[in-house]
Amino acid sequence: MPYSTQFKDHLAHPRNAGELADASVVADETNPVCGDRVRLSLLVKNERIEAARFRAYGCPPTLVCGSVLTELITGKTTEEAKQLTRADLLNAIGGLPSRKHHAAALAIETLNSALARLP
Amino acid sequence: MALRRVYLDNSATTPVDPRVAAMMARAVVENFGNASSVHGFGQQARAAVDRARREVAALIGAKQNEVVFTSGGTEANNLAIRGLCEASASFGRHIITSAIEHPSVSGVCTDLEKRGWEVTRLPVYQNGIVRLDDLTEALRPDTALITIMLANNEIGTIQPISEIGSLVRQKRAGGQKHLWLHSDAVQAAGRLPLNVDDLGCDLLTMSAHKLYAPKGVGALYARRGVRLKGQNVGGHQERERRAGTENVPGIVAFGEAAKLAREELEQRSSHDRALRDRFETAVRSGIKDVVMNGDREQRLGHLSNISFRYIEGEGLLINLDLEGVAVSTGSACSSGTLEPSPVIRALGVDDEIARGSIRFSFGKDNSEADVEYTIEVLSRAVERLRALSPLTLVSH
Repeated sequence: MPYSTQFKDHLAHPRNAGELADASVVADETNPVCGDRVRLSLLVKNERIEAARFRAYGCPPTLVCGSVLTELITGKTTEEAKQLTRADLLNAIGGLPSRKHHAAALAIETLNSALARLP
Repeated sequence: MALRRVYLDNSATTPVDPRVAAMMARAVVENFGNASSVHGFGQQARAAVDRARREVAALIGAKQNEVVFTSGGTEANNLAIRGLCEASASFGRHIITSAIEHPSVSGVCTDLEKRGWEVTRLPVYQNGIVRLDDLTEALRPDTALITIMLANNEIGTIQPISEIGSLVRQKRAGGQKHLWLHSDAVQAAGRLPLNVDDLGCDLLTMSAHKLYAPKGVGALYARRGVRLKGQNVGGHQERERRAGTENVPGIVAFGEAAKLAREELEQRSSHDRALRDRFETAVRSGIKDVVMNGDREQRLGHLSNISFRYIEGEGLLINLDLEGVAVSTGSACSSGTLEPSPVIRALGVDDEIARGSIRFSFGKDNSEADVEYTIEVLSRAVERLRALSPLTLVSH
């Protein structure tokens, strides 16, 4: 499948990769069908996401969705982050074939899982 | 600076040899006649096809009238399996094959299964090789065809075809006269010395573009006396087995490539093996947590299939491609399914190993510098993807 230059750039240079030592919350979700996994650490202060880090295992769209997600949510309030949809993420990536939409779904699910666990 | 480009996907296809391309270019212009025409132009094209047929036959120790030119390996496999089964349906409708065949074999078997044939798929074990005991047990009085590849396209493992050929001969001598052996030798032809009589094969598939010729031409060896029902009808070409005007330039190219492969086989295989072994040694010493897939000895010398733990193959493939290195992967993403490579899974490994498998296949145009560059790029990419992988958290 041909991937866009922007997509490949995220794959070769993932943004915000890793873990936050002082994370407010960590969520780790796996797609039971294909085994793809996304892990997200958030540092939240005054209901604002000050930093986000991710790790991911799976096909390239899963890695790229993790990378793009951290860029999208950094600086947003938790309420704003809750409004993010799979479609927002797909738009930010520049689209994916429909059979790869599960990658965006997993990233959004991991984000929602993290936000739901915030104290 | 221009990006360095290293082609390590010679099992997918090979770069066309300039000597083959030159021969083909001449044939396009000079041998334009229809090889079925009676006039001089046609006879000139016929002579070129016959010369090529002799070369292709010589590569596998066959007689020239036992070679049927096709559009490629897939068509040759279709003709061999479907053509044989349809011609001998009244004698038996049981096929034995392996779990690691190319889709152009497994797909035809599945299709025949839907049409009333029974198919036994022999397992392979961790080494990626079928066992003769399993085959003996699977044989039935109504077995019409055994179709097992000579060497696997993903892991390169070499199957015991000559032993299977001996067994088939014994069975035939014992009265099972309508049992035939086909082998898909697309990966092996030009890389291993092959002789159809030593192998005991009745049908054998080859493809030109795996031996430095262009795409669009292949061949099926069909031993004299083997009945095949033509799958392409509407012409008398290829002794009624494959109707259609011959692809003269493609066939000429295949003939030249087969001649060169025969003449240079030893030199090419020791070159490829040296590069592959150098590469594997460097991977083992420089990168942790790798799994080498397939038997270490009984395999093609130009190919290495390695799983890199904690990462998925396609991400690694794209990272390598961004630095100019071309490889293949058995990951699910690349196949467009949710399941990773059936070949790697047939080895009994877990999904993570199957998803992280990469095939590096060397060829005559690769150099030691290519190996060094690939190792450098590969080590960096694996490290980067592992730093990203949550799987390393629990394991390290």
